[in-house]
Amino acid sequence: MESTGTGAEPIEVLLVEDSPGDVRLTREAFKDAKVHINLHVASDGVEAMEYLGRVRNHANAPRPDLILLDLNLPKKDGREVLAELKESPALKSIPVVILTTSASETDIQGSYQHHANCYITKPVDLEGFLKVVKSIDSFWLSMVKLPRVART
Amino acid sequence: MKKPLFSDRKETEAKYRGLLEAAPDAMVVVNAGGEIVLLNVQAEKQFGYHRDELLGQQVKNIIPEGFAERLIADGTRTAADALAQQIGTGIELVGRRKDGSEFPLEIMLSPLESPEGIVVTAAIRNISVRKDAEKHLAQMEGRYRGLLEAAPDAMVVVNAVGEIVLLNLQAERQFGYRRDELVGQKVKNIIPEGFAERLIADDLRTAADALAQQIGTGIELSARRKDGSDFPIEIMLSPLESTEGILVTAAIRDITERKKSELHLVKTVGELKRSNDELQQFAYVASHDLQEPLRMVASYTQLLAKRYKGRLDSDADEFIGYAVDGSTRMQGLIQDLLAYSRAGTNGNALHEISSEKALKDALANLRATIQESGAVVTHDSLPVITTDDTQLTQVFQNLVGNAIKYRSAEVPRVHVSVTKNGGNEWTFSVQDNGLGIDPQYFERIFVLFQRLHGRKDFKGTGIGLTICKKIVERLGGRIWVESQPEKGSTFYFALPERDGK
Repeated sequence: MESTGTGAEPIEVLLVEDSPGDVRLTREAFKDAKVHINLHVASDGVEAMEYLGRVRNHANAPRPDLILLDLNLPKKDGREVLAELKESPALKSIPVVILTTSASETDIQGSYQHHANCYITKPVDLEGFLKVVKSIDSFWLSMVKLPRVART
Repeated sequence: MKKPLFSDRKETEAKYRGLLEAAPDAMVVVNAGGEIVLLNVQAEKQFGYHRDELLGQQVKNIIPEGFAERLIADGTRTAADALAQQIGTGIELVGRRKDGSEFPLEIMLSPLESPEGIVVTAAIRNISVRKDAEKHLAQMEGRYRGLLEAAPDAMVVVNAVGEIVLLNLQAERQFGYRRDELVGQKVKNIIPEGFAERLIADDLRTAADALAQQIGTGIELSARRKDGSDFPIEIMLSPLESTEGILVTAAIRDITERKKSELHLVKTVGELKRSNDELQQFAYVASHDLQEPLRMVASYTQLLAKRYKGRLDSDADEFIGYAVDGSTRMQGLIQDLLAYSRAGTNGNALHEISSEKALKDALANLRATIQESGAVVTHDSLPVITTDDTQLTQVFQNLVGNAIKYRSAEVPRVHVSVTKNGGNEWTFSVQDNGLGIDPQYFERIFVLFQRLHGRKDFKGTGIGLTICKKIVERLGGRIWVESQPEKGSTFYFALPERDGK
């Protein structure tokens, strides 16, 4: 299957983020992305799992090529989501980028223990944040070959 | 008619005399009239008389009281009767020497029939040594009793079978008994467990061994008062040899108060630790959680500034400018607060590290600052010490960083050196030729977010020295400064030398 990031096919990104401000900032930053990105948003851990399991109103949700996961989330937090994802044979190949305000060593260690693909602490200033999203775009969505699964 | 003891008088006398002389004690033979009829050389020596001076003399001359009287029959008994009562028993009397000096003696009497009637042989032993010893013993006992009573603790003397043989006033008070209620009683009555057992020999050890193991060590036990109430005690045992075998003196201290304060201390330390942990947690959570909404404020004011600068009116630009500046500053404060709350808590175990390496790491982190300012940083040879290298690096970095930051018009020169004081402390110093500090601010500069300069002159929140102080104190040391305005500053920090190296 075609797996390039520069192809015409849009890249599906699931952003698991409870802060509307951050969602909007991410959207703003992706506006200048090199590729066409479909940004899907889940505002808590439960919704993220529902999206990935295609249950309820997510029955037709496309499988994401990349997940941007915050750790501190309502209902089910990002640590649990990560653990469940990486234990699921169907989902574990999806790269997960932890994008959180936490800089705690425990969270960093724990995330990699649970096979997070990379860990980014959200920069506190706008420029830094924009740069991070841009880097995600240029690395994960453009440079990296992602494991794409045939869509049904 | 009784048969004479010896048939031939001369032979008898000779034999008797021989016997007399061989005796280890002074021997004096006295007739019913109280006259000395025979004596041996020991008697001469003992009393300091020549034999001739004593023969035929009244025995009263050498034993003024108690002897002659015993020989004399009175109205109710014969001399023999009187004597019979005394035979064999050691009577303690006083002897008088020729020079008039007196000495204690013990006398043993035995009757001897002779042609001159009943005579009495007296074996006389000088017992001054024994008397002295007895006196000494009595004195010692008196002193011991005195000591016992003077002791601040309750003292109980117990014999090998666990009976109380002696106690002091404190013991009466402490246990609520009168003395006579305790003497002769089992010590188990007042110390139910752990004491009597210790006195008793088992198959494996003798009483002395059993005791030896306990001597001197403070044993914590529970004691019981007469009213049945229990209280905690500490007991110190020491053995005492006596005629009744080994006795044990137990010094018993009521440690109710100590236990209470120990408990209180443990509780207080626990509370302190908890409140400290909570504070730590609070500082972290507060600063971390504050950061989240602040990031929104900052990001969106920055986004506003980016998109709309020059597109609204000049007031709007100015207002947005202040909002951006304020939120940026607050982010700085919160990040520093986070750094402060983490400093010292994320500490590693202490290791033997090179303090010179720690300084070099700090200088590497400051490379840009040093190059940009043209600063010259020198240092003495620095020792290997037992500490936390990451945190030491942080301290060096903050101090050298400050030395360069608060520089005068001259090229900044910073020198790091170390001295060992008293063999148990290393004092590091970071000396600069910078602006210097007025002594009135020496305390203030170490306080969180306290700054001496305006934001226009120097950036920063005033966290660096506070973090240094926290780290140094966590490492068991102190930090201070010596400085004068325009004369440069020297920051010192002393770290304890561990392992005595």
